[in-house]
Amino acid sequence: MDLLSFFPEWVLTHGAALLVVLPLLLGAALAVVPSENAAWAISLIVAILCSLIAFALCVQTFGGESLTYAMGGWDPPHGIAYVIDSLSAPVLFLISLMAVLCLLYALPSVRAEVEPKKRAPFYAAFLTCLAGLLGMVTTGDAFNVFVFLEVSSISTYVLVGMGASRDRRALNASFNYLILGSIGATFFVVGLGFLYMETGTLNMADMARILRDLDGGSRVAQVAFAFIIIGLGLKLAMFPLHVWLPGAYAHSPSFVTAFLASTATKAALYLLLRFTFTVYDFEFNYVNSSVMFLLVGFGIAGMVFASLQAIFQTDARRTLAFSSVAQVGYMLLGIGLGTAAGAAAGYLHLINHAVIKGALFICLGAMWYRFGITRIADFRGLSKTMPWTMGAFTISALSLIGVPFTAGFVSKYKLAAAVAGEGWWWAVGVIVVSSILAIIYMGNILKEAYFREPPIVNGEVVARNEAPLMMLIPMWALALASISIGLNSDVIVATANNAAELLFPLADALPGGIFQ
Amino acid sequence: MIPSVLILDITLMAMLVVVAVSIVRMRSLFAIVMLQGVYSLVSAAWFVSLDAVDVAFTEAAVGAGVSTILMLSAMLLADRQSKPLEMHRQVGPLLVVIVTGIALFYAIPDMPAFGDANSPANSYVGMDYIDRTTDEIHIPNVVTAVLASYRGFDTFGEVVVVFAAGLGVMLLLGLNGNAGKWRARPNGISVCSHALPSAQAARGESVASLANKRKTEKAAVEAAKDAGGQS
Amino acid sequence: MNPHVILRVVAKFLIPLIVMFAFYVQFHGDYGPGGGFQAGVILAAAVILYALIFGLDAAKKAVPPAIVRIGMSLGVLFYGGTGVVTWLLGANYLEYGVLASDPADGQHYGILAVELGVLFSVASVMVAIFYAFGSRQPDLSDEDW
Repeated sequence: MDLLSFFPEWVLTHGAALLVVLPLLLGAALAVVPSENAAWAISLIVAILCSLIAFALCVQTFGGESLTYAMGGWDPPHGIAYVIDSLSAPVLFLISLMAVLCLLYALPSVRAEVEPKKRAPFYAAFLTCLAGLLGMVTTGDAFNVFVFLEVSSISTYVLVGMGASRDRRALNASFNYLILGSIGATFFVVGLGFLYMETGTLNMADMARILRDLDGGSRVAQVAFAFIIIGLGLKLAMFPLHVWLPGAYAHSPSFVTAFLASTATKAALYLLLRFTFTVYDFEFNYVNSSVMFLLVGFGIAGMVFASLQAIFQTDARRTLAFSSVAQVGYMLLGIGLGTAAGAAAGYLHLINHAVIKGALFICLGAMWYRFGITRIADFRGLSKTMPWTMGAFTISALSLIGVPFTAGFVSKYKLAAAVAGEGWWWAVGVIVVSSILAIIYMGNILKEAYFREPPIVNGEVVARNEAPLMMLIPMWALALASISIGLNSDVIVATANNAAELLFPLADALPGGIFQ
Repeated sequence: MIPSVLILDITLMAMLVVVAVSIVRMRSLFAIVMLQGVYSLVSAAWFVSLDAVDVAFTEAAVGAGVSTILMLSAMLLADRQSKPLEMHRQVGPLLVVIVTGIALFYAIPDMPAFGDANSPANSYVGMDYIDRTTDEIHIPNVVTAVLASYRGFDTFGEVVVVFAAGLGVMLLLGLNGNAGKWRARPNGISVCSHALPSAQAARGESVASLANKRKTEKAAVEAAKDAGGQS
Repeated sequence: MNPHVILRVVAKFLIPLIVMFAFYVQFHGDYGPGGGFQAGVILAAAVILYALIFGLDAAKKAVPPAIVRIGMSLGVLFYGGTGVVTWLLGANYLEYGVLASDPADGQHYGILAVELGVLFSVASVMVAIFYAFGSRQPDLSDEDW
């Protein structure tokens, strides 16, 4: 545990609370800071500190132990417990690291897209959103999940709406998201109310214990499960409930899109894993059948139909947004398998997809920053006018498709292996079909960029105009991360296996671990 | 002999249903806002009869008081009448409501009776709070003790939710009503081949008219292509 | 003669009472129903009533938007800051017991402090929302879009 010796003892003890309180308090302070540069610097420092703490928590929980922090000194179930284990710590690290990279990119991007005097409060809203996402993942208390779900959602609606100075449709998108998000939150909280009625507690571990004693519980617990799944399904853009997502991703400020695409749906997916496997148990009949049929069904439908929709988009951001819905389908398929291998593959794809989509949306933002373009038809000649940006975009696009030696290949391969291990060969076919559809929609964009000449403006061919360094650093960091995961996936596969072992304790007994 | 409290509860709930149905059928936004205030007031009364005085107080102050004023001031910026919805757009929500209702009714037989002292919600953690508050926290109101201390971090989160809402209003509208005129510009040259959709198109867009919008987008692309071909 | 003279006179009597009631609800929350959320809303209602009767500009003179803006953040900082103080005193976050020699008294002080934070935030945000809607021109011309 050499890595931990760099951290003060106090930070390690209070890390779980610090991770959420730090962005919350500084977010509130930023709302009154007059200088945008100071606000940006403070946000960046907070994000860096959060990712350091999250890293320390990852190291501490890597062996499979879990840390519990009693908020207010009240032991659970009477107080709110924060629980970090090998399932939540990697997601925390992912979210805070994506926040750091997105903030680097934010400095030029926000200057171009947000009104000067609103930039400091804009960063305040961003930190609040970050705190909300971190809180959702850290907490071990079901009602606290709802509170932080609302913190992150409300600040997300605001952040999406801030795209209005670039594109008026952002207001509409934000409003749609607000209505559907609130419906989702209502379903979730009604489900929690029923769970409380059944168990008399709000602590997740306590709920799990009582539900197991009751052997799944009565109809109240069953209805609670349905409500919670639907509420979370809206938040994570499960296929038929995804209608808010394309608009929100297409019209919000590019910085916000990059951050949301790589974190928001991921936190909701984490909660789905938590509620399905930790609070409820896959052994319960109703959980088993609804997960098998609903999650897999919706996942498969998303993989095919959302990919098809992605092909017919004229706006590159909408293409990628529909692609996100399709990728959520992959994760749901993995989770819905109900095996440790499936959950591990879904979890792996969750991390990889965040890396890939973050890079792609940062690239699209850089293209708008230089040329004011989002439509695929306007991308002609980008390989000559923005070669570095296009390079990172191409690597990430290949990774999204699942070309060997990229992150996307690793997780798709694991998913296909897990699915085939259950004998679901038809599902392997769907994965292949969905990947072919991905080749088509990403190919549409790449074709414009590589095989057409740059446009002519005012009688001159558009000159080379590369994105600024602050944008190139995060996009290339993520693109290189994609490749390095593709070349050597040991650490990240071990992380996913650890997480899955936590959900399926029996997996220890299997010879050769989860992935053979 | 029916207890009088039960009669009161049933009367109040019947009033809630009547108010809710008339809100749904109403087209005048002013009347709707007022009826929402009535709805909050009646539900506050109902909470009192359920012995949830703190919740009733909040509902009366927030629901019937401030939010009515805020809704009115928001309404002044928008239309006074809501447009009637087409039939086909009402089918989806109706189905969702019916399915949700069936799910709720499905759960009812297994719910503990109202006020049952042996139900999990009343006998486990909730009972402990009542037993422990007097010793551990020197205040008599258990609700405040749970809100501010036992589950203090939840309340902190709720304050942040309120703060985020205020921040959002400040960012999107501005406290002096002067926001929204600044336009974003790319840092380089714009090579965008079409203008943004006109103000009317953006405003008229709605959730269900995605198909329409795609049509206009296609038309815009074709128009742009035509223009490119001519030049 | 001003047609609203009765309203104005009544409001001048009522507003101080409303503010008093808000503080009663705030500090009596430990003993009966009430607390920061309700008190914050009632306090905001006093400002809104003032704005409705005497005009938005007068209200903005009495309670400037800049103060409202600071109040929003201050409430969160006050609440969270209480937790930071308990951290500095060596306890867990929001563990009020360390605020006094007797833990149960410490709890009482802590609850008073955080309820004050709730009051600041809720009152400021309610007034801020009212200002934001009230200051907006009802009809947007096409140039604004």
